[in-house]
Amino acid sequence: MFTTVLLIIHGLLAVALLGAVTHQAISVWWKARKPADSFVSRVRAVPATSYANAVVWLYVISTILGGVIYPDYRLNVRVVLEQMQMPMANGSFELKEHLAVLGLACLPAYWYFWRAPLAERYTRTRAALTLFIAFIVWWNFLIGHILNNIRGFGS
Amino acid sequence: MKVSDKFPVFAIVFSVVCSIVYVVSVEKNYAMFTYHPALGQFGAGVEKAGADGPAMYWYGWIATSTLAGFVAGLLACLLPRNVGERLSPALSWTVPLIGSVVLAYILRNYFLH
Repeated sequence: MFTTVLLIIHGLLAVALLGAVTHQAISVWWKARKPADSFVSRVRAVPATSYANAVVWLYVISTILGGVIYPDYRLNVRVVLEQMQMPMANGSFELKEHLAVLGLACLPAYWYFWRAPLAERYTRTRAALTLFIAFIVWWNFLIGHILNNIRGFGS
Repeated sequence: MKVSDKFPVFAIVFSVVCSIVYVVSVEKNYAMFTYHPALGQFGAGVEKAGADGPAMYWYGWIATSTLAGFVAGLLACLLPRNVGERLSPALSWTVPLIGSVVLAYILRNYFLH
């Protein structure tokens, strides 16, 4: 029961992180060229800098929570996936755990390069770091979601 | 918040070294410690899984790579300013990106079966 609660909190934090980093990535890679007058334009026009601290905190807390519930996965889910002969699901999770660490490795640089006032010479670095972290967050969110669906809630 | 002007050097070196050491730790299993989830016990270094259940090395790999990245980052801060300024900021994402490709390659057997 406790693990299920933590898993739900982990999922909710992941949703918040997904929203924050996706907004930031879109605003960096698909900048609004004219005043925002539609939903999509407003997404493109968000102030990207304001998301940086939230992304760092959400990423760290979400990863720590993932680490806390990981032993339950190792004992109760991975074994079942092996018995069901689903190596791709297990491999996807292995990649998820590795990508999470590589994302953590980037966070100090990500945080620094997103500090206001933004330095013009770091524009490309900021954009690349944001895209890389956004990719990790999307991969980890989708794989976590799919694996949870395979195993079934509370089973 | 005031940040030292050495921080970008630390951040770039941390990102590079932590990523490289993590990939090597995974491949060679250089875990600083092992966790036995069925027993709820930690063991120093790499311990094999026993009859009581699996052994988890992920936390140990994180500890190894984070410590290496932290120490390397601090040492890099001691370098003369002009040496640190030569570090390309792009290293902070290219090395982790390459690391993720290498890790995907290491895991290829899960996807090719």
